[in-house]
Amino acid sequence: MNPVVLIFLVIYYVVVVWIGFWAVRKGAAKNLEGYLLGGRQIGPLVTAMTLQATSMSGYMFLGAGSAGYTTGYWAVWYASGDIGGGVVNLSVIGRRMRKLSKIMGSLTSIEYLENRYPSPATRLIAGVLTVFFLFFYVLAQFIGGGKGMALVTGLPYWLALLIAVGIIILYTYLGGYFAVAWTDFFQSIVMVVGVIWIFIAALSYVGGFSAANHAIAKIDPTYLSIWGKGLGYKGQWGQVAGAVLIFSVGYMGWPHVVTRHMAMEDPKTARMAGLYSTIWNLFFVTAPYVLGILAIIILPHLKDPELAIFKVAEKLLPPAVTGIVMAAIMAAIMSTADSILLQTGTIASRDIYQRFFNKNATDKQMVMVSRGLVLAIGVIGYIVALVKPPGVFAIVVFTTSVLGSAFLPSYVAAVWWKKANTPGAISSMIGGAVVAFVWKVAGVDSATAIHPMFAGLTVSILLMVIVSLATQKSHPVPKHILRAIEETAKIGPIPKEMISMAEFALNPEAEEVRKLVD
Amino acid sequence: MFGLPATTALVLFGFPAFWIIYTIVFLIVTRKWGKDKEENK
Repeated sequence: MNPVVLIFLVIYYVVVVWIGFWAVRKGAAKNLEGYLLGGRQIGPLVTAMTLQATSMSGYMFLGAGSAGYTTGYWAVWYASGDIGGGVVNLSVIGRRMRKLSKIMGSLTSIEYLENRYPSPATRLIAGVLTVFFLFFYVLAQFIGGGKGMALVTGLPYWLALLIAVGIIILYTYLGGYFAVAWTDFFQSIVMVVGVIWIFIAALSYVGGFSAANHAIAKIDPTYLSIWGKGLGYKGQWGQVAGAVLIFSVGYMGWPHVVTRHMAMEDPKTARMAGLYSTIWNLFFVTAPYVLGILAIIILPHLKDPELAIFKVAEKLLPPAVTGIVMAAIMAAIMSTADSILLQTGTIASRDIYQRFFNKNATDKQMVMVSRGLVLAIGVIGYIVALVKPPGVFAIVVFTTSVLGSAFLPSYVAAVWWKKANTPGAISSMIGGAVVAFVWKVAGVDSATAIHPMFAGLTVSILLMVIVSLATQKSHPVPKHILRAIEETAKIGPIPKEMISMAEFALNPEAEEVRKLVD
Repeated sequence: MFGLPATTALVLFGFPAFWIIYTIVFLIVTRKWGKDKEENK
């Protein structure tokens, strides 16, 4: 272990923890809205960076490099959609979701769903689905963090895992969303600096982009094909559609990502955040995949392709710069893990504990419960990651496919389609999750050459449309929700009487009372 | 281009170009969002 690399890593950790304490001093966690949404005071630059850093996990440094190394330019399909993921998310639902969540007084992305599709079943199904799949996602990040730390420092896996998980829990526990957003901002800068540095070094080493491609063609010309090595994906448009969709529109279905809209300082924040997201993505997203491809000629006999970027950094960069790249890898892992950890704790406390077990919990009690759950989930995650660590990147693609399929139509229709009702949303969530899950677990994706995300999303959209239309008479969308959606579409400040409308605060009990009165 | 087949070059450079245009159009279309200020300010 080179001491210079270690120094850079320690500096990185110190800054991250310092941001956590700074968030506490700012008073960000003094009430529930402060702890869960940073008091809805996050500006466009930090919104964009936390959105992107949360979306891009350790997958970008380990999985993306591996995909490029093993399949060649086929991997670029994933990057093609990913570049637009941020601006699509912000342009389609960003402004409207911020506005609707304020009108409905929603503090979590699952509570938002129940307010828009009123039924305890909405929150129970969405909450359980999210907690279950996000737990595995955060577990994957913990394992990635532990392995990365062990690799870089030479520490035993259990200790490296303990340090990585301990630091994430510490600042998430202390500062809540505000700390997470600002550490994400810092981590996004580290990530892009790290990847650009190594990309330039790799291009310079191979003699430029054209020379590299000519050299790769001599090894196997099919690496250069968009259909992958050995033309393994030739004509598989179902796989192409899934690869492009998962990271372009897919983010709109991830509860831990769409929460970023609700925390914006005002609805117009989405506009400039969209611009910043695209700029950051143009520099960051494609590079790890191409680095994996360049590693084919830089390190032709690599045993573990997931280490392609790490090994290229180790071979080409001086120790100080390798330290920055290693910090970037840890940043990618930690910036995703902290957001998911907070979101999982939030949903388990507010959407399950408070909603179904202790309706009269005070703000202070809820912050305590949220923190307790962040700690508990972190500790359980640590134990599972230590005792029986599952494969990391299979989990990432699998869980994101299921979450995207389950929730995307519900979040998009919430602000764009007034006819979207509770039965439509519930059937869409269940149908999308089940199809994406079974599609992968039963191996239907290999048999049909159709990506689980594409299959799950198609079913989810169809169910939302068909069931909503079929149940309009039996389950009409309540008038106060229709009014809120109409207000969301308008440009301008929300009328004071509509902020945190009483109808939503009472929901769904208010519906029962209204039915009796009617 | 750059020693790549035409379709690969198209995907590699075409998608980023598409997202740049998408973002520019988004900024133009949403010029009026400036009026959507925080309701409590």
